[in-house]
Amino acid sequence: MATETTLQPFDFARDPFATKQRGLWEMAFQRLIRNRLAFVSAIILIFITVLAISAQLVPFIERHDATVQQYSIVNEGPSSEYWLGTDILGRDMWARLLYGTLFSLKIGLGTQLIVLLVGITIGMGAALGGKLSDTILMWFTDLAYAFPDLLAIILLRQVLFGRDWPIIGTGDPQIPGFPSAILGTILAISLVSWVTIARLVRGQMLSIKEQDYVLAARSIGASPWRVVRAHMLPNTLSTVIVSVTFGIPLAIFAEGALGFIGLGVPSPYTSLGALMGDGYAYLFVNNWLVVWPAIMVAILMLCFTFLGDGLRDALDPRTRK
Amino acid sequence: MIAYAIRRVVLMVPLLFAVATLTFFLMHSVEGGPFDSDRPISDATRARLNERYNLDGSLLTQYTNFIANTAQLDLGISTSSNERAITDIISEKFSVSIQLGICAFIFAVLLGVTLGVVSAMNQNGIGDYVGVFIATGGAALPSFILAPFLIILFALKLDWFDVLGWELWNYKKMVLPSVALGMLPGAFIARIARASMLDVLRQDYIRTARAKGVKEFSVITRHAVKNAMIPVLTVLGPIFAGLITGSFIIENAFAIPGLGNAFVSSVLIRDYGLIMGVTLFYAGIIAAMNLVVDLAYAMADPRIRL
Repeated sequence: MATETTLQPFDFARDPFATKQRGLWEMAFQRLIRNRLAFVSAIILIFITVLAISAQLVPFIERHDATVQQYSIVNEGPSSEYWLGTDILGRDMWARLLYGTLFSLKIGLGTQLIVLLVGITIGMGAALGGKLSDTILMWFTDLAYAFPDLLAIILLRQVLFGRDWPIIGTGDPQIPGFPSAILGTILAISLVSWVTIARLVRGQMLSIKEQDYVLAARSIGASPWRVVRAHMLPNTLSTVIVSVTFGIPLAIFAEGALGFIGLGVPSPYTSLGALMGDGYAYLFVNNWLVVWPAIMVAILMLCFTFLGDGLRDALDPRTRK
Repeated sequence: MIAYAIRRVVLMVPLLFAVATLTFFLMHSVEGGPFDSDRPISDATRARLNERYNLDGSLLTQYTNFIANTAQLDLGISTSSNERAITDIISEKFSVSIQLGICAFIFAVLLGVTLGVVSAMNQNGIGDYVGVFIATGGAALPSFILAPFLIILFALKLDWFDVLGWELWNYKKMVLPSVALGMLPGAFIARIARASMLDVLRQDYIRTARAKGVKEFSVITRHAVKNAMIPVLTVLGPIFAGLITGSFIIENAFAIPGLGNAFVSSVLIRDYGLIMGVTLFYAGIIAAMNLVVDLAYAMADPRIRL
């Protein structure tokens, strides 16, 4: 029997759409990559993060110990041995800058993690929990909104730094890599900034609740939890992701501001804010000390802002130009 | 609308009460007090001091005393500045903060509107790129990054301005803090002004104006800018509130004796009265500004009904 090689009608339909099927996230990713500014920002951020982490692990990148004081070479400018110069105690600025950057990145990300948990919980609770919980939770949100941000952060920072830290057990770095100085700062900032995301999630949830696809899901008997998990949460996700991306630079900014006015993390820890505060105090002696952390904060804030812009455009095609 | 305004003002009272309560218990939950110093003081002295400043008795007594006094607008006396009345200190320091705030506000509006209009008129040209670059850069550079660079360049290297202090009508002391504080809101205004201006320039009435032979300058100033400023006006309220309550960093950087600076030092030395006073004062200002903004929206846009 001869093999069937004759062409059948509608054969072409067997391979109807050669174009690859792309999901929402893949399409968003494609759009993000095509946004040059956002893409470059993402690369720079990854590079800085990797550099800052590896400086803690590989002496070759750290070059000099960030804590070793050398009184013979204080306040030196940039040189081939000390790339960014040395500070008032003769510590290598390159190593200190990377250390501070890692600290600030931890604060930025840690803050957003807490903000995410608190914000989504409160936003969802307000939108879906009925009239009473909406009123109570939104009243809390209004209350948090009534405090000027920085003022509340300063107050909370004082309150949280003034006590021991047995949240879970004893000993200082209770979460590896997150000593109490970081935890205090993270909590102080996140207790102020969850408000934005809570309001966003509430608004989104309230409008999604009325959508036809939610009605459809409920009418075919999906449990309320399934409706929330499978239909409502994923649809708030893009708003939340964008808000978090913009939240990271705001947290880094808040920490920087704290450090700048002298309320940064205590020694031996250092953050970009603390570095700025120290450098600013010795502005007349050594300009470099404030310049390096300032440039680093500026790069981080610019990159996160561009990335946030890119993500917003990528995730919501309607806003694209 | 008047009923709405009254309702909002009445609702401010429980809000401020909650702010006061929260701040009070937060501050007193930290160990230590305003009279802790390196030099030990005798128990008798400490007791007298506590009595003088209403810090004796249980926390609950102190709290009820505090609320009762605050309700009569009596914030007590400061433990740190020679027994001066808190309200006195706040009004003195705030007069400096509001001068700084107004200067920064003027700078922000001038910068933002100019940049926005110029970039919109040269859309995709050199002027646009420069404008957008400044607007984007300024929007991501907080004041405490800008301040040291401004000081190093314009005060230390070029010696055009003074490094520290604040003095009304002395441009050497006024320019740098105002620029550092006003840059961020200025960049924000520029973005809005540019988008709005681009939108307006495409409207039919602009074409009509040109068609009937109005000079280009007149088209821009009298027809375009005037209409493009409406979205800008709506953000000015929150920006102004932010500038007069958010000058902690700049006051600290330039050693300006304003309210933000006073607050930071009062937190450090535990001047409870001043902490509470400033917090309440700021919360009150923000609530009042929000109300003013909402009312202004309603007046400007008849479609909004309160």
